[in-house]
Amino acid sequence: MDYTEQDMKDFYYTAVRMNTRVDFKVIREMFDLGVVNTHRDLYGMDEKTLSDIGGYGLCDRSLERIKDWIEERDRILKVCDDYMRTGSQNSIFLVSCEDEFYPANYRAQSGMPRVLYCKGRKELLKQCSSHGSAAIVGSRNASSYALYATGQFSKELSSKGITVVSGMALGVDKKAHETAVDNPGSTIAILAGGPEIIYPSENRELYRMIAGKGLIISEMPPGQQPLRQYFPSRNRLIAGLSDCTLVMEAGAVSGTLHTASYAAAQGKEVFVLPNNIYFENAEGGLRLLEDGCCVLYSVESVIDSVSQAIIRRKLEFPELSNVEDETAGAEDKATRERELSVLRQKAEKIPDEVTEDEWKVLIEDRLSVKPLDIDNLCHALGLPFYKLSELLISLQMSGRVVLENGKYALTFF
Amino acid sequence: MSGKPSVARVYSGFARGTDCVISEIEISVSPGIPTFSVIGLCDISIRESHGRLISALKSAGFKMPKGHVTINISPAYMKKSGSGFDLAMALGILFASGQLPFAEDRKLYAEGELSLDGSVKGTPGAALRLNKARNSGFGYIIIPEEERDSARCTGFEGQCVKDLSDACSIFGFKGYRPEQFVLGDVTLPETERIDISMLKGQEKTKRALILSAAGFHNMLLLGSPGSGKTMAAGLISGILPMLDSDETGEVYALYEALNGPGTKISGERPVRCISPDITPGKLLGSTLSITPGEMALANHGILFADEIMEFPSQILDLMRKPLEEREVRLFKNGNTYVFPADMIFIGAGNPCKCGLYYEPGARCKCTAAVRRRYLNRLSGPFLERIDIFSEMRSIGKEDMSLMYADGKTAESPVIRERIAESWAIQRERYGMKTFNSCFSSANIADAMRLSKDVLTYCSELASKGLFSARGYQKTLRLARTIADYEGKQDVERADVSEAAVFRAHEL
Repeated sequence: MDYTEQDMKDFYYTAVRMNTRVDFKVIREMFDLGVVNTHRDLYGMDEKTLSDIGGYGLCDRSLERIKDWIEERDRILKVCDDYMRTGSQNSIFLVSCEDEFYPANYRAQSGMPRVLYCKGRKELLKQCSSHGSAAIVGSRNASSYALYATGQFSKELSSKGITVVSGMALGVDKKAHETAVDNPGSTIAILAGGPEIIYPSENRELYRMIAGKGLIISEMPPGQQPLRQYFPSRNRLIAGLSDCTLVMEAGAVSGTLHTASYAAAQGKEVFVLPNNIYFENAEGGLRLLEDGCCVLYSVESVIDSVSQAIIRRKLEFPELSNVEDETAGAEDKATRERELSVLRQKAEKIPDEVTEDEWKVLIEDRLSVKPLDIDNLCHALGLPFYKLSELLISLQMSGRVVLENGKYALTFF
Repeated sequence: MSGKPSVARVYSGFARGTDCVISEIEISVSPGIPTFSVIGLCDISIRESHGRLISALKSAGFKMPKGHVTINISPAYMKKSGSGFDLAMALGILFASGQLPFAEDRKLYAEGELSLDGSVKGTPGAALRLNKARNSGFGYIIIPEEERDSARCTGFEGQCVKDLSDACSIFGFKGYRPEQFVLGDVTLPETERIDISMLKGQEKTKRALILSAAGFHNMLLLGSPGSGKTMAAGLISGILPMLDSDETGEVYALYEALNGPGTKISGERPVRCISPDITPGKLLGSTLSITPGEMALANHGILFADEIMEFPSQILDLMRKPLEEREVRLFKNGNTYVFPADMIFIGAGNPCKCGLYYEPGARCKCTAAVRRRYLNRLSGPFLERIDIFSEMRSIGKEDMSLMYADGKTAESPVIRERIAESWAIQRERYGMKTFNSCFSSANIADAMRLSKDVLTYCSELASKGLFSARGYQKTLRLARTIADYEGKQDVERADVSEAAVFRAHEL
């Protein structure tokens, strides 16, 4: 994997954040005072600029830290090289807040990492903005009830195109990823360590599956071991990326509760799977319900919540609604309409030359308005009964049409 | 006159169900104080003949012999009834008493009721009896003039007589001059029927009627009141081919036995309508008098059950066996009487309690549960006897005007021709007179020329839930009928598809 100069600058930013005392306060001050415009500008700062920044009015604490960092610039560049070597070996790509792929949900909030290290299908980042995403989180040693529900909800949501986000832990996380990865919505795993580090190692097989068919995200650079203190931050990213959070099972003290509270703080809906009050590992979830979280009862309410989030996001980021896609859609529609009208005329004038597939299109066209019985279809299409019955059965076989209340109706999925 | 009684032997017959028994009548006249006795399990109608005989013989210029007159009608263990033995008994008495020369050279068969003035009248069941008599090797067959129609229906050879002296003259100067009767004017002219083209905008039902006729498939029509269910059932007799001569004989014999001499039928297939208030006796036949019921009377024709949803389940259950076996069995005194009942059964009913389920504009207010309960009146085993399901809706305004506007081209005669052709195809394929719906064989796939491809396709459709697994064979049979009607050698996928449309139902 070859990295561009932009990527190099992104690596450098992470290296500075990870290896110097330059913390978020310093960075914010630099942005606020206009010392830098993007995080990539950090790469260009060296001793020469050090003398220039005095005029911006940075506080002493910041100045001191910046000075330390610039003195150590060579060491940091060496760290950058390490990152890049590990990254390219594991085909890890970068997405920063300057990219179009950067998730809209992160852009909408402050305090989200400016650079993400990813592995897998890049387009999922866009898809989870356009089609919505839901976090499914829960205990590592979950009960069979929670695991069963996880499988059900994960399957339902991902098959509707909603991306399932979780943390690739054991238990609920694992179940959620496994169920979703093959479906249209697919799945995103957010790791606490570097994106190439498989933690826990039991999930090696799962990691391979997600890296192939889904997406792995981390705010940590390649090679960074997952430390204990990184996990709450990772939970914040899970809650931040998704449009709502499903808590399947949580004990009284649990990382899952972090995720839930981050989500709530970000104004996102939290659904909690109700459980037995005498079941010890369910206390955290029940407390969340007591605090006013939604009961996870039907998949429809989750889909509702996700679709509202999508609508809000589209209003907030009009550029998100993929302009190219929609014009292409409109054009498609116009051509389809044109073709249909040609076909209708053909059916009227030279019905003998209309092929079977064309008839099927015409039948679907008729049924798209409302369900019809076979007699009316015969009349509307001017098709003899035996011919029509054959076509209808074949449409029924392929699942395009169903027989309801004595009428043939179009199916929508 | 010596002490030895003189015995004469003549023959007559009586009907039992759809069968007939030829009985030998022995008449003995011996000297003594005049007595008259009839023996052989005869009921009062036969024993009463004494009075008729005395008067009729006198009217014809003969007299009742003086002495013991004993008449034995065999087989003596069978109960018999009816006045049709009169003529045979009178002739026998004349032979035995020497008033007429005894025709020993040939066996004599005679039937007919005598009136006091000597004229001979017909009795019900003549067609059944004559059918038996003509094959039993009689030298003389003498029947009443009134039974001429029955004779025509049986392809019979014999002589008709008006009165007793007429009959006696056969053994006198005139001699026996038999006539050969051929099927002729027994049939009434065909009634004028509504043409099938009247069924505008009801393509499915129209096609269903045609296929039902083409393969003798039982059918169920569900539709709102006024959607033309009864009319549709009436249309089918206009597209069914006419009865052939054998069938005419069979149908006539049954109706003649019920209605007596002088019955006329048209060559059309009988249409019997039954309604929910029908009794078991009327449906299957009376076991008391062994008379055929509606199911037997619909033989070779159509049995139409209107408002089938309102039929008591007990009546529907009674219909199951005859529909399966295509015959009705009656049991009486250890005897079984079989009436053939090979017909198309057509049921018509409402699709729900209010009847508007298939109507446009969601006018039906029945809940799913109410509807379910309503449709459950037809049991699964009963539905298994149904091959074709079709729905009907009330006709739109445009179609209504079309119905009466261009009704000039009659489609029914053309369709009738095609149906006759597909019957011929079926007969040829199976080597006997049977239809796709009822042909039975260990391997119907081979007999019906169903390819492996068609069989797999059909099971695919079944596995997709388009029809029940037990409807599998019915679908294949119907597909065969479609192929026959379309004049195809082999059944194609398209035929199975169409059959599947007729098998789909929500019952």
